Amino acid sequence: MRLDGNALAGVLVEALGTEMTEAPRRCQSCGAVNPVGAHLLYQGAGWVLRCPACGDVALRVVSLSDQHVLTFAGEWRVETPR
Amino acid sequence: MERLRVDWRVATVSGVVDETPSARTLVLDVDGWPGHRAGQHADVRLTAEDGYQAERSYSIASAPEDPQVSLTIERIDDGEVSPYLAGELRDGDQFELRGPIGGHFTWRAQEGGPLLLVGGGSGLVPLMAMLRHRAAAGSDARTVLLVSSRTEEDILYRAELDRLASEGDGLAVHHTLTRGTPEGWQGSDRRVDAEMLTEVGPPVADAPRIFVCGPTPFVEAVADLLVGMGHAPASIHAERFGPTGG
Amino acid sequence: MAFVSRGFRGRQRRDVDATRVPPGQYVVNDFPVLSAGPTPRTDTADWSFRIDGEIDEPLSWTWDELMALPQETFTVDIHCVTKWSKLDTTWTGVSIDTLLDGVDTEAEHIVAWCDGDYTTNVPLEDVTGGRAWLAHTFAGEPLAAEHGGPARLLVPHLYFWKSAKWVRGLTLTIEDQPGFWELAGYHNYGDPWREQRYWSD
Repeated sequence: MRLDGNALAGVLVEALGTEMTEAPRRCQSCGAVNPVGAHLLYQGAGWVLRCPACGDVALRVVSLSDQHVLTFAGEWRVETPR
Repeated sequence: MERLRVDWRVATVSGVVDETPSARTLVLDVDGWPGHRAGQHADVRLTAEDGYQAERSYSIASAPEDPQVSLTIERIDDGEVSPYLAGELRDGDQFELRGPIGGHFTWRAQEGGPLLLVGGGSGLVPLMAMLRHRAAAGSDARTVLLVSSRTEEDILYRAELDRLASEGDGLAVHHTLTRGTPEGWQGSDRRVDAEMLTEVGPPVADAPRIFVCGPTPFVEAVADLLVGMGHAPASIHAERFGPTGG
Repeated sequence: MAFVSRGFRGRQRRDVDATRVPPGQYVVNDFPVLSAGPTPRTDTADWSFRIDGEIDEPLSWTWDELMALPQETFTVDIHCVTKWSKLDTTWTGVSIDTLLDGVDTEAEHIVAWCDGDYTTNVPLEDVTGGRAWLAHTFAGEPLAAEHGGPARLLVPHLYFWKSAKWVRGLTLTIEDQPGFWELAGYHNYGDPWREQRYWSD
C-alpha cells in the first residue's frame, strides 16, 4: 500500500539534515507544484516518491548500511536556516 | 521551519494508559526533548541483546505544551514491535526515540481555523495532538473532528473527546462506526461519505484547513470525497498510515 | 552498540541453510509485495510482448500466441535485495530461450521494459541458457497483478529487482544500459551469492 512523503521525513532529515516535507517541488513532467509531504510514496527495492498529479518519479532512495543514496528529479525548493 | 538536531535520545516510560483493548499510550520522559508541533511523529528504535534492531514510527499524541511525550500504539497481533511496546513494556523501561519529525502535517494554534480533522482508526492520534494543543493554547478556532472507528470500544480517547467537545469553545466531534453500533448510538453507522462530510463539516465556502489521517484507503477515499465536494486540494493535508511490520 | 531495551527479542531469527540462502538473507513464508509505483492493470486481451533493438525484425506475441508456445513449470528460490528470500516457489512460463530461438544479434545486453516506467538491465547470457523465463503463473494460479501479472520476467539467479514485474518487452542492446534501480544506487549485476546489493559492492 502506498504512503506519502510524510513517511519519508525521517530518512530525509537523516540524509540531508533538514525537514523536507513542506518543501515545494515542481514536477519536471507536468509542471505541478506540490509539497514533498503530498507526494506519493512507494516501497520497492528502495523508496520511490512520485508526483501526486502525474505519477512521474520525484526521488529514489537506496539506503546502505553506511549511506543513503538519493536521486532527485524535478525542481525542489528547500529553505534551511543559517 | 527551524533546524533541529534529530538525534536518538533515551525515552523512559513513566506511565502507560490502556486506551482500548488493543491500544495503549506510553507516557515518556525523553532526555533533552526539543519540543514538537502537533501532528509530528517520532521514530522508536529497539535493540535486542544480540544487537538486532527494529525501528517504527509513531505519531506523537501529546500536545507540545505537555512536558512529557505520549505515543499511542495499536497492538498488532503478530507484529514484531507493537506487542512489545503495547504489552511487555513497563514503567521505568527505556528505548531510543528520535524526533520530532514532520512538517507538512502539522498545525499550530497561531495558524487559526476553521479546521476539519478526519481520522480513521489510529489516524486519530496526530489529530488528538492538534486538539490537545488547541485546548492548551486557548484557541477557539472553529474545529470539526470526524472520527471513523470500527466499533465503540475501538474509539481512542473517547472520554477526553466528549469533554473537549463540551467546552463550548468551537469544537464539534462526530463519530461514525463501520462494524456495528451499540444500542442508543448517537453517531453515524457507516463509512465516511459526502453526505456525512457535508452534514458535519465546515462549508466549502469557509475554506477550512483540512487534515486527514489513517490507513491509505481511508485517507484516499476521504480526500477524493473532499475534492469532489469542492474543497481546494491544496487545503487538504493527508497522512497515510501503512503496515510497517507491526 | 546502541541502547538495549529490556525484554525485546524481535522477529524469530531461525538458522538458515547457507547452501540455499545467500548471505544476509532471511527466509519468509509469505510473499512481500514491493513496487516502485502503482500497480498497472493490463488485460491479457490488450497485452503483447515484444523483442526489439539489435535484431533484424522485431518480434512480438499476443497473449494467445505466448500461451501456444512450449511452457515450462519449474521451482526456484527467489532472493530480494531487501533481505527476504522465498524458497521453493513454483512458476509456469515460457523460457526466454524459446522467445529468442533463431534470433541473430550482436547485442550482449538486454533492457527489460514494463507497464509503468520500470526498466532493468541484464547481460544477454544471464537471460539465456535456461536461466530466465517470461512467467505468468505462480503456485498454480494466474500471476496476480500485485506480483507482476499478467506476466513478469523471472531471473532467479539474480536479486529479484531484476525479475521485472509487468514486463512488456526486451530490448537487445550493444551497450549496457542501467535501469531504474541500477541508476539509483543498486548494483549493476546483482548476484546474491556475492552479495552484490549496491553500486559500491
